[in-house]
Amino acid sequence: MSTNLHQARYAQIQSAMQTHGVDALLLAGNAWRSDYLRYAVDVTPMEGEAVALITLDNPPQLWVQHPAEADRIRAERSHLAVHHQADHQGAVLQAMGQWGQARWAAAPGSALPWGLAQGPWSATVPATTAWLDRLMVNKLPAEADAVERSARLADEGYAVFAQAARPGRREFELVAETEAWLRTQSCPENFMIVGSGGVEVRGMHPAGDRALTEGDLVTTELTPCVDGYYAQICRTLVVGAPTQLQRDAYAVFSQALAAGIAAVRPGATHGDVARAQNAVFRHHGLGEYVGPEYTRVRGHGMGLYVDGPHVLEDVELVLVPDMTLIVHPNTYHPDVGYMVLGDTVRVTEDGCRVLTPTTRELVSVTP
Amino acid sequence: MRRGLMSWSHQEMPPERLQARVAQVQAWMAEQGVSALLAHTSIAQPAVVHWLTHFTPYWSEAMMVVWPTGAPTLLASLTKRVHPWMREVGLMGELIMAPRLGEQTAQHLLATLAPSARVAMVGLNALPWSVAQPLRQQAPSLQWVDASDGFAGLRRASDAAELGLLAQASAMAQLALSATPSGATNASQVTASIERHARLAGAEEVMQRIAPKLAQPSTWLRVDGDIPLSSRYAVELSLAYKGTWVRWVRNFSTDAPPPDWAQAQDWWQHQVLASASTAHTPGAPAVGTLQHWRIELCQGGLPLSPVVDAPASVAPLPSGARWGVVSAQLALPSGGWFAAQPVQWTHAGAIHV
Repeated sequence: MSTNLHQARYAQIQSAMQTHGVDALLLAGNAWRSDYLRYAVDVTPMEGEAVALITLDNPPQLWVQHPAEADRIRAERSHLAVHHQADHQGAVLQAMGQWGQARWAAAPGSALPWGLAQGPWSATVPATTAWLDRLMVNKLPAEADAVERSARLADEGYAVFAQAARPGRREFELVAETEAWLRTQSCPENFMIVGSGGVEVRGMHPAGDRALTEGDLVTTELTPCVDGYYAQICRTLVVGAPTQLQRDAYAVFSQALAAGIAAVRPGATHGDVARAQNAVFRHHGLGEYVGPEYTRVRGHGMGLYVDGPHVLEDVELVLVPDMTLIVHPNTYHPDVGYMVLGDTVRVTEDGCRVLTPTTRELVSVTP
Repeated sequence: MRRGLMSWSHQEMPPERLQARVAQVQAWMAEQGVSALLAHTSIAQPAVVHWLTHFTPYWSEAMMVVWPTGAPTLLASLTKRVHPWMREVGLMGELIMAPRLGEQTAQHLLATLAPSARVAMVGLNALPWSVAQPLRQQAPSLQWVDASDGFAGLRRASDAAELGLLAQASAMAQLALSATPSGATNASQVTASIERHARLAGAEEVMQRIAPKLAQPSTWLRVDGDIPLSSRYAVELSLAYKGTWVRWVRNFSTDAPPPDWAQAQDWWQHQVLASASTAHTPGAPAVGTLQHWRIELCQGGLPLSPVVDAPASVAPLPSGARWGVVSAQLALPSGGWFAAQPVQWTHAGAIHV
């Protein structure tokens, strides 16, 4: 990631701290939720807890649970004072004690460990997490540029996935080929789940050892990370020639995706984007399949994580330029099984730019 | 957030073995007078719940509740759509969709327990605020006991099923490292090859760090972006197979390895691995200086936790440990040198897995 982008994000954090009357900010992360730490101090924990202390006047400090992580992060991030002690939570609390009467804030709720949350700053967690979320959802242009780079990788990665999908190959072998290719591109992270089979398949999950057979629908959402930012592609392919039922079903998803993307513009809400997609399913008599018994989520933000609230009919998040999200009308179709189709988009001044050039046709891979 | 093959082979991990582990925990609960034992799981701290249920969430989070009898309950924030998959890869009793995990865990406990019951939690201080706060708020009178140490004592006594997975994971890691391409000039060439071989062999997860220039003072780096390799570099591969994590390290040289590498390897075999079972500081290497050596065990929520981190902290190996990962770093005249591998300890001494 460029130093300029890191500095710009850090400046955003400092400005927000001043706006919210915060002298000292405690930010936690781990291998699951590293997004807030990445935003603030450009650190991605690989193992254990990591906690940053950010103040208005001093360089940031970081405490990590695992000693190997301390060595690594010191080498990678010279702007940080990195500490490791066996009792890392105790060390953080001791350091906090030196700040006396500072006005504290702590976040995010999803990663702040309970051992560090039992002070007066505990009450600040929801509000602090909320203003950090706003910073992360409302992207700087350079952040949206990073999502664009990631979207290109997702697109190329899907071609590798489709090439690997042949009868007899097992789900985890498709993932192995895709992940290996992403590593050739120096991509450190990718989130992907898959599904394969027919009408019995109702969702996706981590790869299993099921072997593909002719006639299968093979679904994936593939989500590589470039410079800390994720983008996603969702596609369905057929092993062999698609049946008419599969083609007809897929046409509904294609219409829904087009409708959803057409709704993405500044001033529109996540709810608008979800309703545009769901209207297509309802028009085709498939309204049941966009409800809570199947899949309600019609997309979500893309960025350092699944940014902000999901794309759901009752979410009133207002879109502004440079927000990035995936629009995906993924759900179960009673005739053929689970289907997915989704593109990452960037909100522009007058609409959006689709960042996923892969065809939206139902791809057939030949045995 | 990567996840590879996630599946449950009943041959490798018989359901009876998981049930026996739960019974061990239930016996401990009875001794301690606690009415339930909880553990939170996510990608960040999956190991407790995996050991008892064979389940790891690929996404989101869950809370396991072990009751005095019967199979554990799992409250999971994952969508109900993946419940069939969860039951395919893990063994659990009641499975409850719980998008408000803390609040619903409290409700679940209070439906059975007295408001002031004693409840144990493994990793109490590591529980995320978003779960802990509503749990405490909804069940303010429950008496919480940190069960981390008690659980660790049970967990270290690995069974044959776990040792079988350990051997598999270790073999996969060595296979993948052996496939490292000669003449690689960029870290991505190395990580891609290792990743492909590991995942095609069935690895559930792969995590790699690279020390790209051993001729200089070296440390591990995460491979994010373009990292050129010098003629001597090292790779640390952490690999999971069905929830069991190992680490292996290899040092690579595109030319003939420096002579001091052989001396370092000899020291590693005879001083470090031989002494690791008692966690005494190994004898000084014949060449160079010891930067650190470390022993990691699986005994809590993290897949591998350091229990010896010398020279920062040297302590006896916790009792009952049957296997762990030993690692070390030397500063040699030729530059940095690294080592790591899993070790199994028996009454007869250390076995290199």
